[in-house]
Amino acid sequence: MHIHTLVQPNSWIALRLPSDTLKVLQIVPNTAISIGKYGTFSSNSLLERPYNLTYELLDLQAGQKGSTLRVVPASELHADTIAEEDAAANPKNEDDKLIIGGDGVEYELVGENGEVIMRSNRETIDDGARQTLTMEEIEVLKREGTGAGKDLIAKLMLSHTALDQKTSFSLAKYKLLKTKKYLRRFTVLPLDVALLTEWYLNEKDGGKILEMRSELLGLAGCWANVHFSESLPDVEGGKWLVVDETGGLLVAAMAERMGILHPSEEQLQSVGKSSHHREEPAPATSNTITMIHNNAQPNLSLLKYFLYDPATSTPPCPDHPLTTHLHSLSWLQLISPTEDTTYSTAVEQLLPADLEALKPGKRGTYYRKLRRWNRTKSIVDSTRNGGFSGLAIASSMDPTSILKHAIPLLRGGANIAIYSPTIEPLVLLSDNYSTSRRTAFITSPPPSFASLTTEEDRDNWQGDEDFPLNPTLVLNASVQSARVKRWQVLPGRTHPIMTGKGGAEGYLFTAIRVIPARGKIEARGKFGKKRKVDDNVATPDETQSSVKKEKLDDGVVAQNIDELAQEINGGTETTPKTKTEGDIEMASPSP
Amino acid sequence: MTSQASPFLHPGTVAQKDRLAIIHLKRDLQNPILLKATDEDDEGYAEGKVVNTRFGSFPHTKLIGLPWGSQVRAVKVDTGSRGRRQPKKRKLEASSEDPGHLEKIAKISEQESGRGDGVVKIESPASVDVGTLPKDDAEASPAATGFIHLLPPTPENWTSSLPHRTQVVYTPDYSYVLHRIRARPGTSIIEAGAGSGSFTHASARAVFSGYTKERYESTNGQSVRKHLGKVWSFEFHEQRHEKLQQELKDHGLEGLVEVTHRDVCEDGFLVDGKSPQADSIFLDLPAPWLALPHLARSKPKPNQIDLSAGEVKSEPDTCEAFVSPLNPHCPVHICTFSPCIEQVQRTMSAMRRLGWVDIEMVDLSQRRFEVRRDRIGIDNGNQHGVLSTPSSVDEAVARLKDVEGSFKAFHETGEKAEIRKRDRGNPNSKDKILESLVGRKIYKEGNLVHRAEQELKTHTSYLVFAVLPIEWSEEDEAQARQKWEEKIDLSVTQNPAVEAAVSGTMSKRQQKKAARQTEKDKRAATAVDAEAVVVEGDVASVPVVVSEKESTPGPSDTTMS
Repeated sequence: MHIHTLVQPNSWIALRLPSDTLKVLQIVPNTAISIGKYGTFSSNSLLERPYNLTYELLDLQAGQKGSTLRVVPASELHADTIAEEDAAANPKNEDDKLIIGGDGVEYELVGENGEVIMRSNRETIDDGARQTLTMEEIEVLKREGTGAGKDLIAKLMLSHTALDQKTSFSLAKYKLLKTKKYLRRFTVLPLDVALLTEWYLNEKDGGKILEMRSELLGLAGCWANVHFSESLPDVEGGKWLVVDETGGLLVAAMAERMGILHPSEEQLQSVGKSSHHREEPAPATSNTITMIHNNAQPNLSLLKYFLYDPATSTPPCPDHPLTTHLHSLSWLQLISPTEDTTYSTAVEQLLPADLEALKPGKRGTYYRKLRRWNRTKSIVDSTRNGGFSGLAIASSMDPTSILKHAIPLLRGGANIAIYSPTIEPLVLLSDNYSTSRRTAFITSPPPSFASLTTEEDRDNWQGDEDFPLNPTLVLNASVQSARVKRWQVLPGRTHPIMTGKGGAEGYLFTAIRVIPARGKIEARGKFGKKRKVDDNVATPDETQSSVKKEKLDDGVVAQNIDELAQEINGGTETTPKTKTEGDIEMASPSP
Repeated sequence: MTSQASPFLHPGTVAQKDRLAIIHLKRDLQNPILLKATDEDDEGYAEGKVVNTRFGSFPHTKLIGLPWGSQVRAVKVDTGSRGRRQPKKRKLEASSEDPGHLEKIAKISEQESGRGDGVVKIESPASVDVGTLPKDDAEASPAATGFIHLLPPTPENWTSSLPHRTQVVYTPDYSYVLHRIRARPGTSIIEAGAGSGSFTHASARAVFSGYTKERYESTNGQSVRKHLGKVWSFEFHEQRHEKLQQELKDHGLEGLVEVTHRDVCEDGFLVDGKSPQADSIFLDLPAPWLALPHLARSKPKPNQIDLSAGEVKSEPDTCEAFVSPLNPHCPVHICTFSPCIEQVQRTMSAMRRLGWVDIEMVDLSQRRFEVRRDRIGIDNGNQHGVLSTPSSVDEAVARLKDVEGSFKAFHETGEKAEIRKRDRGNPNSKDKILESLVGRKIYKEGNLVHRAEQELKTHTSYLVFAVLPIEWSEEDEAQARQKWEEKIDLSVTQNPAVEAAVSGTMSKRQQKKAARQTEKDKRAATAVDAEAVVVEGDVASVPVVVSEKESTPGPSDTTMS
């Protein structure tokens, strides 16, 4: 069965309110759910009901603690727009009836004499104080009003002195405004990564997730090539390395892509059950996420919304797939494990006889310590062994300092994706991988690097002032960004949404880990100042031969020289065209 | 043998024969190749199958077995006998041979022979008497220059190197779409308008959760029944369909993606009469609103179909029962991809009528950045890329003084200022550049700047997202209501300890204590006053029936048990 089939007890859900705000809550049976001014209802009326349905809170009856809910069918949700479309299609049938909420009850908006509502904005008065209902009257209506706020909205509109002066556009806007404020409706949504991101960015502290928008989250997942990848009998699966300072959002997004974020129905059975005295399953070896964290404990607070909490001894869902598939270790444990107490203090194996002698409490402590040590040791050792198939980073630390230690852990062909809310750290990082820097590195490697003989030592070379990172270990370093723009699409009123949220734009650095060939490697390509092709009628063949003359007889130590020439000539050249044949392009006269 | 695994999903550590690999030449120039141990087409190379690139020639046998990510040197391949028949006779050493040219010829001949399929199979211009070559020569030796990197295929590098058949859905778009339509391992996804296959590959990676049912029966020793993800792809263009099918076969994605040759607007989404049980849908069609009526949970009523569309044939009622291609048990997420606003309007109108909710339209803009160093200054030897303007007022003044000085000298002594340029030589020669790189470390000079790359994709398409909730009948609601009586147990909400226990922040002892306290509270509450009220309401907006009952803690209404 699918994970988000029906609302399960104790799962986290989100309610989208008419004001377009989200209320995130864990749905505990037999409790009251209060959505502020809109009302209160029993949590049970949502349990084992479908997601994505919109409900209306029916009017509270005497003695009732919570409102009864009514499913609002989609036809009713869209009735407004559909009626508008139909009216546009058959203009003569147009009447001045107003539909609020679309349950078929129509509110006449024609004046008593049947006068027509005005259609231009020439006479509108730009004055807010046009509502004749007083606050007190509105309050009374709110308390006593019926129809889930619809009659209130109708009264508000009718009491607006200048309603007849509104154009159909401002009328629609006014109605929307009032609907958002007073209509007692909400939609039930499953809390998944996309929704959690939206909620955090718009309503919570966006800084806590480094202002990472869905676009960038999706992009990072793709460029780090994160996907389900369990080992096959004959091919090893994948494991991903992550540095996450978004409180676990990046880990959650990766886990969702790997199919280990949402517990299956079987695994959900363990919710609320104790994990004590049960055999802790061994850490998985493939389809895993290994997280390196700054503090002694990882900050994965957002994972609680997916019923996973590594910080507690009483996990909300002991059988959660992340229990075995998410491994975490600190930077100290990675870089210098002997200095880490947990890792370096081996738990002494007790003989069965000694174990018997211990008090049950002590025995429990012993087992817990032993388990913890075994787990730490196996995670630290396997991480230090490397072989990761991808790396994803969302951190406020200097990416160069992270890559220094992370790159050697990646296998050849592994994908790297680094998110940063601002571009500057990524620009600095890209500069370490610039073609000219790499060429200089290959031409004349720093002595501290050249003296190294083994492949492993070379991979782990810690850089120097000129070359903070070994530029030959990474290919295709590039920086990108993506952003969506939301639109309002309504009959005759289609335009981009006019306000948005500022803040960080969000950027992604992508690259591939490669294995440089040993020894002198010489690129092939054209080099040097491009000669002007005098007879400018260059057919491809002629162009080619003219270029050929320019070709160097002895190769230059550079990664594809034309790229270098391009970079050095950067100021006068455009970027390489992707689809054209390179040779012709290279022969074009230099300006 | 890696019988089933796809190199996209399980690349392993080394490149293997008969599997796809990506030859990385330079940024934005990557060639997909199918590694072959033997040259089936007999192109006449002594080394077997050879891939020729701008940066040299690489026999497949040299690539097979290499670790992914390896930098590979070009090798000298014997072209002596092959070279003779080249259109333009040139005597070339393998090292100085221009492979780009060869490639171009190959491309031309490829076009001529009408082959434009997924994998670049570079055809040799001519091939003759390989047999006459001495066997020893067949062992390739490294060429003096040229190299490539051997990369495992990913949907990203496939997207940037695939043969274009139609407009391609690029990574920024598909990554966002797949995230929004909740394509995850185990998802069943419909893709209509497969086109060039970029979205097909990306969605295959997204929904992949195993090749066969047997293989993943157990994780951690537990028997877990898994719903295997699958891509149901539809393409109405016959050649494109055939090519995609061949590609998927070559890429080991056959079992994961089912391509059907079909006009979905006419014939719907059932495959062999069966429902794909889709959870997610991506429509890259010229008229998505024509396909939408097929993507319903039950047969759409006439008033749900936009009459102005007109083209939808109203099927006679006599035809077979409507089979929904959707998964009846979960909300279905859809995304349509249309370049024009009018398409969006019609699509959204159709969606509203067909009961889709949370309908939203966005467009996505993407930018790639170029990072480089801007070097400004006079004393840079007139190199390319250096603005020969002073970098500061001081530098400008110094130059002005310099000029003044030489003027003076000329007027007073008639001595001409030496032309400085001459002794510098060509600043853009290879040696000079390398010297400035290594000696002067010009890679550290100048201002580090970034700017958007020259070619911007400012608009790809509008993305319309929507959700179709599952059908929920009165009976379903009645059943749920029976199981979950509508009630509010105040002792539960008012005791924060219980909530804390549920979210798992309490120790076991605390939990027990809390549970005891809750029980006590409940008993007290029941005794004093039946505070908790059970309300039986109706889903439909029928007047609400209120009945007060005593709240007795039953098995279904305690949170902790």
